[in-house]
Amino acid sequence: METTPVLPGDILPSELIPHSTNKAVKLGPGLRHIPPSTVKATISGTVTSDLRKNAIWIEYNGGRYIPTPSDLIIAQILRSAGEHYTVQITPHYPPALLPHLSFEGATKKTRPQLKPGDLIYARIAAAPKHADIELECFNSQTGKGEGLGPLKGGMCFDVSVGFAREVIKGRRGGVVVLEELSEKLGFEVAVGRNGRLWVEGGEGERSGGLKHVIAVGRCLQVCDEKGLDERGQRELVRQVLKGL
Amino acid sequence: MPLDTSSYSLALLRLDGRRWNELRRIHAQISTQAAVDGSSYLEMGNTKIICTVTGPAEGRRVGGGGSGGEATIQVEISVAGFSGVDRKKSGRGDRRIFELSYTIEQAVQTTLHTQNYSGSTISINLHVLTQDGSLLAALINAATLALIDAGVPMSDYLCACTAGSTTNTASSKGAPRPQAALPGLSSLDEEADDPLLDLNGLEEQELPFLTVGTLGASEKVVVCIMETRVQATRLEEMLAVGVDGCKRVRSIMDSVVRDHGKRMVDEG
Amino acid sequence: MPREVELSNNERDFILGALRQGLRLDGRGQDVYRELEISFGEEYGVVDVRLGKTRIVARISCEVVAPYPDRKFDGVFVISTEFSPMASPAFEVGRQNQDEIILSRILEKAIRRSSALDTESLCIIAGSKCFSLRADIHVLDHDGNLIDTACAGLVTALQHFKRPDVEVQGEKVTIFTAREREPVPLSMLHHPLCVTFSYYDGGQIALLDATFAEEQVREGEIIVTMNRNGEVCQIAKYGGVAVDALAILSWTNMALVKVQAMTKVIQARLKEDAERRDKDGIAAELRADNDRPSERPHG
Repeated sequence: METTPVLPGDILPSELIPHSTNKAVKLGPGLRHIPPSTVKATISGTVTSDLRKNAIWIEYNGGRYIPTPSDLIIAQILRSAGEHYTVQITPHYPPALLPHLSFEGATKKTRPQLKPGDLIYARIAAAPKHADIELECFNSQTGKGEGLGPLKGGMCFDVSVGFAREVIKGRRGGVVVLEELSEKLGFEVAVGRNGRLWVEGGEGERSGGLKHVIAVGRCLQVCDEKGLDERGQRELVRQVLKGL
Repeated sequence: MPLDTSSYSLALLRLDGRRWNELRRIHAQISTQAAVDGSSYLEMGNTKIICTVTGPAEGRRVGGGGSGGEATIQVEISVAGFSGVDRKKSGRGDRRIFELSYTIEQAVQTTLHTQNYSGSTISINLHVLTQDGSLLAALINAATLALIDAGVPMSDYLCACTAGSTTNTASSKGAPRPQAALPGLSSLDEEADDPLLDLNGLEEQELPFLTVGTLGASEKVVVCIMETRVQATRLEEMLAVGVDGCKRVRSIMDSVVRDHGKRMVDEG
Repeated sequence: MPREVELSNNERDFILGALRQGLRLDGRGQDVYRELEISFGEEYGVVDVRLGKTRIVARISCEVVAPYPDRKFDGVFVISTEFSPMASPAFEVGRQNQDEIILSRILEKAIRRSSALDTESLCIIAGSKCFSLRADIHVLDHDGNLIDTACAGLVTALQHFKRPDVEVQGEKVTIFTAREREPVPLSMLHHPLCVTFSYYDGGQIALLDATFAEEQVREGEIIVTMNRNGEVCQIAKYGGVAVDALAILSWTNMALVKVQAMTKVIQARLKEDAERRDKDGIAAELRADNDRPSERPHG
């Protein structure tokens, strides 16, 4: 993987663009193809490419989350209406729809009853430009939940959109906080690409539960705000664990 | 025009002849308007208020509503142009009036059992006919009576009154008062400035005062608004006098409601 | 259209549960403020105040106008607040929401009504000329406790601001630019600061300097404005769950301690800034009140 910073309007040097004979090049977010063979950046960030998938895109941290199909997100139920829940992904986006039956093993009688304000971990099924966004909490091919569904208890922390992506990538994204923390603490995490992280302390330790969740959340937020590198993250985790 | 408060220390009588812990005459009626769900007319001295309550009724759906399944409370206050000493036309965007209505809205929200009426609106309309001090207190009391008349369940009477202090503000202006440098002197000093209960319009202009609203006869304070500068040490007795006044206001309001109930029973 | 951010049930329960165990999300104690960071602009009277993520810019400006006919001896002092949509998705341009009106009312009561600023000193010629002072409060980021931050910002800005010097000769008024004569600081009678208590469980738990999330789960708040001399300038408890009268008294005592601490921070920063500006040490000599002590009206 290579990274080169670009600014909007920059023309990407052709050596950055993956050349593969049998597959067409895929352009990701932040890039625009100007025929015949020019690729321009439309946003500032670092050029990232995946040679195996023959894809190239711009990695940037900033701005609001823009719903994209098959993203995993943490959303909040606003209300239940007819056949679906109305769900808020970010305050800046119109509400999305989550059909009542889009849960693992849900039928009309056994569907989860969610109240306004409940959190769910969902996948964006479709994000058409001129219609409502649709979510699902199961894999529509297999019918399995795959970890999606209502989130019970725990705490939600807001981080930047870019950091959420890095956390999903884990070590490849340069985030080792969770791994480091999990050596000492027991907790469960769900990462939403809309910049929300849900953390739940283990069942067993009632006394330390809340404290641990707060510690995890704070570690993540500090990493995000300060943009710590791996060494900085390890140091931070060491300090936080000492504090507990 | 400065009010001559110096005579107070001689006779211990206020301008209108009251002693420090006396309320003004409170006269109240409920069910005065037939066309609304609840109404009241309240006089606290020369401050006169008419209050009408409509609801709980299905309200206009405000965008994105359904907040926690509670009833929405709307408070509208109209101050008559002739109510004050000088005729003033108060615009719609008057922030002072907004603050008054916001206070009542917030205070009533926790006193009423609004969770029983999710999605409905209770609108409280208050008309100030004349003002002579203790405006907020009178508004709160009138609203409570009208809400009782409308039959909205509430945890207790929300009753309010004002309490002031005869502390000469000029003496404490700017420089801090030497605190208890001479114990004998400071106690003398404190005797000179008594707390006062239920201030009228003239007293309000001159003296620091606060408005207290309590839940029934308890010492639980729902509303506490003070807009004038006063030494923190005076606060304790002002609050104590105010809370005590609220208890008395409550018993007066209670007797009004009971009398009204009795009359209704008698009349069948 | 952006909607108001509402807290999810999970967050609500978690924050309350943590508070009951004496824990806050940012690890502060219940009576601990976030660090108050103050920085000054190039001009006098431009102050940028941050309290954690909450950020406010206060700016004082002044011009010469005719005083109100019913207040001939007073200058004009206006406080205007503006909530920018970049602070929170709930803020919209041009539409005042409730918080904004309450904030401006509190500032009005805390600073104007408590006569923190000596408006008589803004008078140039009674009935015909006076300074009109305008304080603009811009909320740039909202993470709770706007009122305390805005009040601290405004008071700091008022202390930082300097108005142009004037000279009155009969009916003739000369207003000097900063080049001609060193501008004059405003005359302040006292420095009120707001302390907001957010309470939970019927007053059992009282938090100082609540964050936005903590504000959303609170049962009620009480805003106490005091100055370091122990005077209460304003108390506002608009409804909310009832609390004991004694709790209110103990909170005012706590507020005094906080106000004194905050005043110290503000004074220290003002002093630093004054020293930074006064590199050659000639400001003291240039001060206009050195040579003409009698001509300015004193209130």
